[in-house]
Amino acid sequence: MPNIICCFKWVVDEAYIKPSSSGKIDLEWAEYKLSDYDRNAIEEAVQLQEKYGGSVTAVTVASSDATKGIKDALSRGPEKAYFINDDQFENLEPSQTSAILAKVIGDQIDYDLIICGEGSSDMYSQQVGPRLAEKLGIPCIAFVNQLTIEDNRIIAERKTDDGLEVISAPLPALVTVLPDINSPRVPGLKDTLAASKKPVIEIDLEDLGSEYERLLIDEGLRAASMERNCSRFGAGPEDIKAFVEAVRKTGVIDRG
Amino acid sequence: MSGVWIYADKYEQGVELLTAGRGVADMLGMKLTALVSGDNNIAQDFIARGADEVLLLPPLTESQPVQDYVPLMADEARDADPDVFLIAASLKGKEMAARIAARLDTALCSECSAMNIDEKGKLQMERLMYGGAAIQTVSISSRPQMATIPPRSYEAAPVQSDRQGNIKTLESPEPSGMQVMERKGKAQASGDITAARIIVCAGRGIENQEDLAMVRELAEVLGGEVACTRPISEEKHWMTEESCIGLSAKEVKPALYLGIGVSGQIQHVVGIREAGIICAVNSDENAPIFESADYGITGDLYQIVPALIEEFKK
Repeated sequence: MPNIICCFKWVVDEAYIKPSSSGKIDLEWAEYKLSDYDRNAIEEAVQLQEKYGGSVTAVTVASSDATKGIKDALSRGPEKAYFINDDQFENLEPSQTSAILAKVIGDQIDYDLIICGEGSSDMYSQQVGPRLAEKLGIPCIAFVNQLTIEDNRIIAERKTDDGLEVISAPLPALVTVLPDINSPRVPGLKDTLAASKKPVIEIDLEDLGSEYERLLIDEGLRAASMERNCSRFGAGPEDIKAFVEAVRKTGVIDRG
Repeated sequence: MSGVWIYADKYEQGVELLTAGRGVADMLGMKLTALVSGDNNIAQDFIARGADEVLLLPPLTESQPVQDYVPLMADEARDADPDVFLIAASLKGKEMAARIAARLDTALCSECSAMNIDEKGKLQMERLMYGGAAIQTVSISSRPQMATIPPRSYEAAPVQSDRQGNIKTLESPEPSGMQVMERKGKAQASGDITAARIIVCAGRGIENQEDLAMVRELAEVLGGEVACTRPISEEKHWMTEESCIGLSAKEVKPALYLGIGVSGQIQHVVGIREAGIICAVNSDENAPIFESADYGITGDLYQIVPALIEEFKK
């Protein structure tokens, strides 16, 4: 029966990000959420447990602000969580996050399978899963949309630019999952209540006993302007004619 | 040792990276090394297109995934200690780059959209974050400075005459225990939207699956391909994921994009930001798509699309 770890991140909800007039990003009013693809990672872990038994442990690295995220993750089915948190864990970059996860998972958690989302919905660097696998020295299968476990091996169907590959790898292994692998459940009130009773193991930087240097240096952040100067047309016949005329004039249509 | 390295798991992206890598290597006054899987002819081709050196990756067995090159590539990079290592941001390339970066204890800029070299000779790299709402600039304090480069960011490097270079064939990689049991090609129901010059995109404003017919007809009249937003492929399953535009789906660069009933969520718009002309039809005059559009029609798409088909036919 597999012991499964699912990793998650508590992120700024990008729907709340509005560029200010100065081109700066204002996060003061931002709401937070469980990163979209990590919901699929947790759901997949829970579905595999329903099928094969075993256990599901949720793990995150964050500053203490992510306390709400622990409850959110646990309300989706895992039976316990590791909350690796420290005030210095604000805005970690992927090499730091993966090294910290590897340290805790390698030293403290029994596992057969680790499931991560394909990327986080804030940074979307898509690095933490593959890096974590390397740090732990286990096989990595990224961009998976179907998973089964057979004879102590994982069979995963993963997306490639040419189509699909079915990969078999010995456990323990790590997979990163795509959003189409499942439809994450929406936790009910009962699940939320149950989540507050589940064990949470807290670990801080001092417990880890090492330093994690930042290698990816922030040099600036600005709002991405995708604004264009939109010429507006109505729906009447003359408007349609004028619209088509305007588009033709740009020369992007071969014929006509 | 100094130098600029490139790797792509596909030939087309490899020759694009030659352009990117040659540019960086020339600015830094360094040698360009390409990691290439294939035979001597391909190695010669890479040299003719700008590489100073080719490290030839020997063929894999049928059941070996291309990711089995990761330990070999990391070991070679550790020995040669290049300054810069660029990898094509295909799905396989993104995974391989992250794993190589982990092995080399260095940072990686994922899906770098723009690259400059500062006065100290360090890369200043831009990438999108927050679902495309913001652009982050990063640099890397460790070696090598690594980045993945999205496909079609650069033109393919042209063949030049009289170029010379070294070819070094690497040892075959050890099998990793991971096996490819099956490879399945894409179901090619329609054309490739990433290569299309004109795209008509169906959004949530389309009420019934049958109504996609008129979107297809409009695309046909324009000589373009049909694409869709995530709700159409993922929630309604009316079209395949191959047709979906947006973050974690396809990024497209058509000369003309026409969104039909597309509201313009940031995760979708990020996938069309390189389009030449963006047009939108939506009944909601406040739909965010209009902010990103060049031409917009406000009104009922069920009335407008047939009228557009007639008008574009003329």
